[in-house]
Amino acid sequence: MAEQIPVAVIGGYLGAGKTTLLNRLLSEAQGVKLAVLVNDFGSVNIDAALIAGRDGETISLVNGCVCCSIGDNLGLALHDLAERSDGPDRILIEASGVADPARIADYAGSHPRLALDSIVVVADPETVRMRARDKYVGDLVRLQLAGADLIVLSRTDIVDAETCRAVRLWIETEVPGARLALSPDLDHGRMFTSWTLASELPLDGTALRAALATLPTEIVRAKGIVRLLEAPDRRFVLQVAGGRWSLDAEDKDVDPLTKTRSVIVCIGLTGQLDPARLDCHFAGVARTVGPADLVELLRRGASPPREPHP
Amino acid sequence: MPGPVTVFAAKKIITMDASVGEATHVAVRDGIILEVGDLDDCAAWGPCTLDERFADSILIPGLIESHAHLLDGLLWAKAHYVGPIDRPDPSGRLQKGLTDNDALIARLKEIEATMSDPTKPLVGWGVDPSLNDPIAPITRHELDQVSKTRPIFLLHASCHVGSVNSATLEMANYAAIRVPGVLRDASGAPTGELREMAAMLIAVKAVAADMIGGSTDAAQFYNFARVAQARGATTIVDGGGSTYFDPAFLASALAATEAEDFPARIVAHNNGITVPGVDDMIKFAKGLDGKGNDKLAFQGIKIILDGSNQGFTGRLRPPAYLGSGENGLWNRAPDELRTLVPALHKAGLQIVAHCNADQAAELFIEAVALAQAAHPRFDHRHFIVHGQMLDESLLRRMASLGIHATLFSNHLYYWGEFHRAHTFGAFRAAALNPAATALRLGVMVSAHSDTPVSPVDPLFTLWCAANRVTATGRVLGPQERVSAYDALRMMTFNAAYLLHRDHEIGSIRVGKRADFTILARDPLTVDPMTIRDIPVQATVVGGRVFPVG
Ligand SMILES: [Zn+2]
Repeated sequence: MAEQIPVAVIGGYLGAGKTTLLNRLLSEAQGVKLAVLVNDFGSVNIDAALIAGRDGETISLVNGCVCCSIGDNLGLALHDLAERSDGPDRILIEASGVADPARIADYAGSHPRLALDSIVVVADPETVRMRARDKYVGDLVRLQLAGADLIVLSRTDIVDAETCRAVRLWIETEVPGARLALSPDLDHGRMFTSWTLASELPLDGTALRAALATLPTEIVRAKGIVRLLEAPDRRFVLQVAGGRWSLDAEDKDVDPLTKTRSVIVCIGLTGQLDPARLDCHFAGVARTVGPADLVELLRRGASPPREPHP
Repeated sequence: MPGPVTVFAAKKIITMDASVGEATHVAVRDGIILEVGDLDDCAAWGPCTLDERFADSILIPGLIESHAHLLDGLLWAKAHYVGPIDRPDPSGRLQKGLTDNDALIARLKEIEATMSDPTKPLVGWGVDPSLNDPIAPITRHELDQVSKTRPIFLLHASCHVGSVNSATLEMANYAAIRVPGVLRDASGAPTGELREMAAMLIAVKAVAADMIGGSTDAAQFYNFARVAQARGATTIVDGGGSTYFDPAFLASALAATEAEDFPARIVAHNNGITVPGVDDMIKFAKGLDGKGNDKLAFQGIKIILDGSNQGFTGRLRPPAYLGSGENGLWNRAPDELRTLVPALHKAGLQIVAHCNADQAAELFIEAVALAQAAHPRFDHRHFIVHGQMLDESLLRRMASLGIHATLFSNHLYYWGEFHRAHTFGAFRAAALNPAATALRLGVMVSAHSDTPVSPVDPLFTLWCAANRVTATGRVLGPQERVSAYDALRMMTFNAAYLLHRDHEIGSIRVGKRADFTILARDPLTVDPMTIRDIPVQATVVGGRVFPVG
């Protein structure tokens, strides 16, 4: 019998970070042909520069990986992959946010050419404990975690260390013996280094856009959630990928006086990314002002005196 | 030029109209009711043909099956019915229920003997060991008695389990399959019982591939309508999941239903089940608006919140399932529903929500409350399908938000004992499908069969709502029994109301469509326990008579 293709199931509740993880695994796979089965192409933001072609329910990437839509029959989509002559080296299935990943994993044994590798469940450290208490989905979130071979905490590069530590403790109590991984450490391993800018205060949008337009080329990706002085009632989502950047307002209001930290994380190749250089590059984006000044600033929306990032 | 006038005479016409309750004659022209009264009243429209073939019968408004699935028609087209429940087939012949494995094997042997091509698989549907006496599994040992060489595949009534013989196990290479749902004996050999799709998939692909994926087979539409018509339905709902937005499927549906002799009207819900994005859901639904014909219409968009109660996948409020305290599965994430429902509501669509257990209903009600707060709408007629565990509190909130329901009253008979013993316990089983409370609170409720889950039979469904008797004869929750009149109203006017068609069908009134069901006895005066046995003699759809049998 030909060698079997290992199948992993990626589960986790809605918004846990499954598609982000899958997207990263797809774009960063090197020397291994991954096939990823997803519920909705729309939610997977594959970098346009990585797309080699699209044929109906399959998107091919330049690195040899493919992303396929599950459509309305997971089993058929999976068997189709198993029976391709140029089949993948590994298959990852995105379980729907409300699925029991263990049931999805049953499909891995449903074809002679496939074998179950593992069940990975993604959890968002900021929301997982609240979800686990929710009357509608609490039991499901706990069921998903309990069925995991590996639990991946997403967004640990953005969430503060205290929250991460607390949630790790919680998971260790909730799912005794759970294997835990932090998303930045996963798979793409030590190849990348990150640099973080965090500020309790809103950022200067003009300075930020100027900094993004001239980003050093060693930054392969950056992301963040920020607040800007020019529109203090909004949060902005920052994305940098493949040399392009975007800074888009979320469409829900936030109280201008609530404390939302601004966080930007830049990721680059280890050895190339120079934190000192980035400190300089983003100087002027975040300022230090007192609370009274801030209230005044938010009222006026004017530019405050420039001070270097501490 | 108006067509000729036909006057149907009946022993009694039960109109279900709020103002005029009874008559003996109804005049029809061009498919529309001209007059309802006695012969003289009808003669006011001038010369007419008097049709007296129903003069000794009871004429009621055409019965409406408010939730069923076209899959029923496809199963009749592609597979042999071999289940334990009596079902009339599309040719009108009664297929007697096979209630033990000996009867099943004998029937399969008969079918096998008529098959000429020795390699053609024998595919059957509808088996249900839980309703058999004695309850016994259907394994390869039973099916090998039918044939050791011809592949056999039997789909169970739940659609979650399959039974196969050794030939199928070999052909599909089950030796190499490692799925927990492939049941095995002590020696590790597959027993032939396949639980859930992951276990069944490779067998289905090998021997019944034409049962998966969309079929454009025209026979499915005719079968679907014909089986319902034989039990008195003049309108039947295709309750979501079908792919009318696909031009080939739509063309097939239109061609089938356009035929003069197509025996019932189909009202199809738009697909909010297999279409993934909300934008496409709205686009497809709006695209089908008005695309139907006289016997095919599109109304409402169907979404699914939870699973099935007897399959232990319904979403229950605490204390959840009897004994285990476990809960079922969401079909869509609650967080997604809180945006999906308001988006569909805002787009002006009518939302038809599958909520089997009470927590699913609670969430839907919560989502509609969000939608109403953001975009108040009158008369949307969103409704819950199944709603088996609704209680007074949920029903009151539904009444205030304008949500209605079609209840799964057939469950009381077929699964009432199972629910009492295995899923809900005594209290919750007695409170299932609370039609009386719903009607008292002003919620418009109908009831349904969900065929192929239970056989489509509106008179039987009416009987269930009126009597609440289980298969073993126990009355479950007598307080929730409704009068025969209310039960008939559930299956006529209320169903029409849910479908936004009460101005056209659902009662016998001047100006409405001439859709009638002809019964041998009066359902309002017989002992309610005998309503299910009243012979259906014919149906009339748009003035055209469709005999039964
Ligand atoms: Zn249904």
